[in-house]
Formats: sequence, C-alpha cells, structure tokens
Amino acid sequence: MLNLNNLTIQRGNNIVFSDFNTSFKTSNLTVIIGKNGSGKTTLLRTIAGFIPIENGHISLEKLDVRINKNQWVDKLIYIDIKNGLSQDLTVFENLATWVDMKGWSTSKDNLIRALRSVEMEKYSNVYISQCSEGLKKRAALARLYFSFIFGVKFWLLDEPSNDLDKKSTMLFKELVNRFLKINGTIILTTHDTNLFKKKYEILDLDLLKEKIII
Amino acid sequence: MSSNSSSWLLVLITHLKRDFLINLRSLTDLVAIISFMLLIIILFTFGIGPIKENLDIISNAIIWVGLILALIPSLEKTLNKDLENGWFDQLLTSPIPLEIILLSKSISYWLMVIIPLILSTPIFFILLDIDLKQTPWLLASMTIGGLAISLVGLIGASLVLGAKRGNILLPILIIPLMIPILIFGVGINEAIKMEEEPINNLLLLIAFTLIYLVISPFISALLVRIAIAR
Repeated sequence: MLNLNNLTIQRGNNIVFSDFNTSFKTSNLTVIIGKNGSGKTTLLRTIAGFIPIENGHISLEKLDVRINKNQWVDKLIYIDIKNGLSQDLTVFENLATWVDMKGWSTSKDNLIRALRSVEMEKYSNVYISQCSEGLKKRAALARLYFSFIFGVKFWLLDEPSNDLDKKSTMLFKELVNRFLKINGTIILTTHDTNLFKKKYEILDLDLLKEKIII
Repeated sequence: MSSNSSSWLLVLITHLKRDFLINLRSLTDLVAIISFMLLIIILFTFGIGPIKENLDIISNAIIWVGLILALIPSLEKTLNKDLENGWFDQLLTSPIPLEIILLSKSISYWLMVIIPLILSTPIFFILLDIDLKQTPWLLASMTIGGLAISLVGLIGASLVLGAKRGNILLPILIIPLMIPILIFGVGINEAIKMEEEPINNLLLLIAFTLIYLVISPFISALLVRIAIAR
C-alpha cells in the first residue's frame, strides 16, 4: 500500500496540494483524472521523488520517499510524455542503457523479450530520431517488462496511452494486467476515460481529496 | 560496499559508452567546434599583421583563448539535450548518485570533444608559428586544462539548465572560473619560452583542475535537482 499522508506540495508560490491524504492499494490500478493544470503530473513526480515535499509523508510499506531514496527509486518505474529516449541511439541501445542506469544487470535475451512484449523487436536497430511518436512511446513502455524480473513495486505513468494505436494499447493493457497479478500498484494519468473497461479506481483531482470507486 | 562501488563503476562506463555513441553520431558538432577555433586563430593572425615578433608574444594566449571560446557554445548542449528528452527524469529513478553520472558526463565531454579538438591544434601551431619545442608542453597543458574547462562547463551548464537564453548567460557565469586555468595554462608555455622551469605553473594548473574535479559534480548535481524540481 502506497500512502500519502498530509501531503503539502508547493510550486513557486502556488500550493498545489495541501494536507492531501490518499492511498493506493497493491494489485490496484488508479487513474488520476483532472483538468489541465490540476496537478496530475505534479502528483506523479512528487511520488517519484523529483519534487520536494513541503510537508507530509509518502510511504510504501516501511520505505519513505525522502529517507530511503535509493530503495524507493529501485521499486518504481516512471514514464512520462518525454519518454527519456536519446534521439541518437537505437531502440535497443536506449533500453539497454536504461537497464544499466537502473543498476540492474540483464541478458540480451531479456532485453529482446522486453522489446517483444510491446512488439518492438523488429525496430530494435532503428534510431529513435526515425521513430514515430507511437513507436517512441512503445520503446519507453518496453521498460515495464523489467518489473517482472527486478521486483518493481509500482508504476507511475503520465499519459502512457497517448500516441498508441489499438494494438499497442492492447499490449500495454496486457502488461498492466500482468503487473497487477504480481501485486503491483499502478498510478497513471490519462484523458482517455474509456482506456480501461475493468474495475479501477479514479482519483479526480477536481474533486480534491475525494475518492470514488466505480 | 564493494558491490556498491563496482555498480557505480559499471554505471560510469555505461554513461561513457552512451555519450560516446551519441557524440560519434553527431560528429558535425565536433567539426563545427574545430572550425570555430580555426576561425578565431585565422582572424587573430590576420589582425596582428605580418610582424613576427608581435605574433610570438601572444601566440600561446591566442591558442588558449581560442580553445576556451570554441568550447563555450557547445557546453550548454551537454546537459540541455538530456533535460529536454526526459533522460534526467529517468536518471533520478536510478539508485546511483547523480554526482557520479554528472562526473561521467564531464569526463565524456573531455574525452570526446576537448581531446579531439586538442589533437587538431598542431595545425594551428603552424599558423601561429609556435616553436616545436613548446608543442608537447602546450598539448599537455591543454589536456589538463581541458578537463578543468569541462568541469567548469558542467557547473555552468547545470546552472542554466532549463533556463531560456542560457547560451547568453552561461559564458558570463563561467568565464571567471576559467581565468585561473587560462593564467596557469599560458604560464606553462611562457616559462618554456623564456627557458625557465614550467613545473610551478603546471602544478598550479593541476591543483585547480583537482579542485574543480572535487566540487563540480556536487554543485552540478544540486543545480540539476533544482532544475528538475521546477
């Protein structure tokens, strides 16, 4: 269970959240919705530990985002609209560098399996600069496969379904279902309210501090 | 602890490899830097005119100023590219300290931009009619000073990270830190020219490089974290 207690986040002089409480259960998918500028990305980036917290706590089991920084980042995968891919590297090189950067060591087979999970295998030697937006997003989502190898506990995904076609969305949903089965926690933002048909939770930032279960 | 430090080394190598590939695939950037330095030196030689004595007095200084000026426009890009494509966000989800990663960036900039530039300088020595006796000292001092320039550049690049008009702000901010490198770098070759011992200047240049080596990754990491939290 990922807990947010009395969370206050300030950006410049703006207080984005004050005394915000919520929790994200394991094996659960939470979709954060809200108007543009309501703080969806800010919330995700705060949980990832990029944005300093003014007040309050973010914790997962015994880990705290501020105290156990190294263990915290080891348990999460964060993917946002910028993808974090270098234009001058191929799809494969980008993924391999990312895994090394995470401090994990893996075999070439696993890297290929990860690319296969989003059907990017045949693009593995294509430069990112030559990829379409959808392909880039899939190249970024291939990282999620390593959750099943290295014991990642939660995903923070900022509009992961943007630019994805129907087939890729299906592949993404397969990864989501697989992660939920191994007790993962997924927090994502989207504007596509029809993305998931299954039961999921909605955190509507426009109705701040309220949580409605559908 | 030992497994920790070995994984740090692995990450350092991973990043050097990554930056090496990226630099290799954007070689035009390097060509632009070398041609810019060539331009600076050609302009100086024409500006000085045909009197050889005048050229002899300032040839070392021209090489050093040319080196610094040619590198400055490319410094900002070293970090800005990775901020724009979101790579820094991913780096923050790595258990490896940002300091190590930034240090590797600085080293890779030194190895893949500054060293090739220095290797191309013998052409400029001919243009400036620099004594052959001085060449090894000049190359050695520029190699050491180059690392210092790269480290100072890292501070500058992280200071203007994500800022608009960073390319204008950056030179103003880092030139003061470059001055000691310039003074002792030129000092080494002036000593050789006057047939004195260059060792004092060399040691001071090394000392400044080591100081920058220690402080630069920490200052830069702090600045990068601020830039990302914005």
